[in-house]
Amino acid sequence: MKKKIEIVAFKCKKCGKLHFPFHDRCLACKSREFDQVAPQGNAKLITFSQIFNLPWGFDNRFLFVGVAEFENGVKAMGQIAANAPEELKLGMTLKPTWDVVRVISGENVYGLKFEPM
Amino acid sequence: MRPVAIVGAGMIPFGRRDDDNLMDMLAYASLNALDDAGLGDKGVNAVYVANMGAGMLNHQMSVASALVDRLSLQPAAAESIENGPASGGSAIKNGLLAVASGYYDLVLVVGGEKMRDVSGWRATDFVASMTHPTAEYIYGITLPGMAGMFTRLYMQKYGVTREHLVQVAIKNQEMGALNPYAHVESRITHEGIVDSWHSRVNNPPVADPLRLYDVCPVSDGAAAVILAPLDLAKQFKKTPIVIAGFGQATDTHSLQEREDPTDLKAVTLAAQQAFEMAKMKPSDIHVAELHDAFTILEIAESEHVGFFKKGEGAKALEQGKTKFGGQIPINVSGGLKARGHPVGATGVAQVVDIVWQLRHELPKDRQVQNAVNGLTVNFGGFGNNVLSFVLRRGEK
Repeated sequence: MKKKIEIVAFKCKKCGKLHFPFHDRCLACKSREFDQVAPQGNAKLITFSQIFNLPWGFDNRFLFVGVAEFENGVKAMGQIAANAPEELKLGMTLKPTWDVVRVISGENVYGLKFEPM
Repeated sequence: MRPVAIVGAGMIPFGRRDDDNLMDMLAYASLNALDDAGLGDKGVNAVYVANMGAGMLNHQMSVASALVDRLSLQPAAAESIENGPASGGSAIKNGLLAVASGYYDLVLVVGGEKMRDVSGWRATDFVASMTHPTAEYIYGITLPGMAGMFTRLYMQKYGVTREHLVQVAIKNQEMGALNPYAHVESRITHEGIVDSWHSRVNNPPVADPLRLYDVCPVSDGAAAVILAPLDLAKQFKKTPIVIAGFGQATDTHSLQEREDPTDLKAVTLAAQQAFEMAKMKPSDIHVAELHDAFTILEIAESEHVGFFKKGEGAKALEQGKTKFGGQIPINVSGGLKARGHPVGATGVAQVVDIVWQLRHELPKDRQVQNAVNGLTVNFGGFGNNVLSFVLRRGEK
């Protein structure tokens, strides 16, 4: 069963810069206080690659991995459900889901999986 | 700060070295550099060993202490330096600062990696462990995958094509075939890797849009240099090569946090610092070794260091400006693409190749005529930690 997306981004309380992943100090103004921001809505595909030579721990023949930007500006990496590069186009809309992305030491690791819309 | 020169340089052939362990390779490269400097049975004050993964790949830690023992260099100071694929550049920088400060007079810097001890599967995972653990690594991203994403954006923004990437691969393997230290000794043809029926087998996709011949090999290898103050350099037998400038800069760990992911800011800053310190500009450079772990990086770095304007690197490549005999020959050694990429060794090997060029020691078919100034770029992570050196031929 697919689950609620669990990542949060961090918006600097002083200058408003959005960060993901977490930084102890703001990349722009170096402030240390942030509001947590959940990614909202669908996401726009920024870039991707179809990866064939996968690292230890994957049995797939290939994986699509890309970076996408949510409607509220949060940018994050995730796996993409696709079978060929021709199915994807930069700028297209993706539906984010939260699912198992890897198994490490026998434990399921959850993360973002994007589905082309 | 006193000027520092390279007074000895050595390397061992890169490739699959089944008969040597990491310590063998570090020792052989070090002995080559010590002999090149004519040091004979003399010692050094300090040893800096660049290595990224002996703990993970070879089940060995504290390699600098082990190397000092192997070479009977006690009581020299010794430490290992891990900075991903920029470990070699970092070790040279630390050696440089130690000599420049006046604290040490003679320093051995050696970089090495034994990557073929493990399967390709494990080696890929080892390199991928540089990525952000929770925002990138968990998704199965690899360094070729990062480069594939970067390439797609670079193609879209600057009009780089597959054909440009192929030209880098052919150029660098052409030069690598002349280099006895290179991992990949074979030339490739356009027909063999593009558009022919057999190219689908020869050159399969690795991380779309990158294919096999866009990616450097996984290699074993080691390289070493001896550093000394310039005012002592005349005591050594070879022409001293001055480290005229160095620079180092960092960028965000995750690619998606960069305002413009096609902008390799750390490369630009590191090269600018190196040029400023050397009181030179890009047009003063006669030969360069850039970090072409992926073909796209040679094109992108040639722009970011200032040889060409942004977006004009591919055109310069097309016009032959970056080939041997061109306006600014890049990766005459074959680069990482052909010499190979034992990650801890690469930054040192780049400097060794430039030292040989500036001493005018190479055979005619690889020697850039009258080369006096050279540049290196050693690219860590996916551009999040970069070192650059400007080297100048000194007076004998």
